[in-house]
Amino acid sequence: MTDLRSLPRLRDGALNLADWLTDPQPASAGALNVFAGTVRNTHEGNAVSGMTYHAHRGLAEARLREIEAAAEARFKVSARVAHAVGKLEIGEISVIVVIRGGHRAEGFEACRWTIDAIKSAVPIWKEEHYLSGEARFLEGTPIQPIESL
Amino acid sequence: MRITIECYGASARWCGSDAVTLDLADGATGAQALDALADRYPDFAARRDSVAIAAGDAIASPTAPLADGDVIALIPPVSAG
Repeated sequence: MTDLRSLPRLRDGALNLADWLTDPQPASAGALNVFAGTVRNTHEGNAVSGMTYHAHRGLAEARLREIEAAAEARFKVSARVAHAVGKLEIGEISVIVVIRGGHRAEGFEACRWTIDAIKSAVPIWKEEHYLSGEARFLEGTPIQPIESL
Repeated sequence: MRITIECYGASARWCGSDAVTLDLADGATGAQALDALADRYPDFAARRDSVAIAAGDAIASPTAPLADGDVIALIPPVSAG
């Protein structure tokens, strides 16, 4: 079985959820919380055909690992995250958060904090493709330092 | 001195290229590089205050002086997820 700790968190192409659930559940953990973000077929009334994820690879990889560590320190859980880069089709998985913790309360809280941190602190950009053939980058949020989250 | 600015995400559209070369006065800072970029590209100028700078694999201070040959990256507002 692949040791997930050794894998890059930034991956080319769509993510496979099962690939990111292979860490052993700690014996003291009673909760496994999982969030997966997928590409949807509509945005603000426009029919979407797919999404290209662009990244500053070095900084994005570093930030994803920092967010894992920050979630573990803050919530006393085990955290694993992954994000896709490249062109994804409708329904494919772009981001995964896996939290293993003692109880559901801190599991849900850590999962929510972690996906919110990814969205505001990792240099990844969505370029949305429309059925009309047009494409545009989505408006984002100025990148935040993880310690401010 | 001459520096290179790599343009990520939408900033490549604002500047019309994935990378831009700028000639700046010796000792110029990242903020001064962004000022020069804004002078050249109006679409970037309108969004300048929302953009961060990265050097290597870390966010850089806009007040840090640059050196000849430096490569910095524009980090426009992010939209991961």
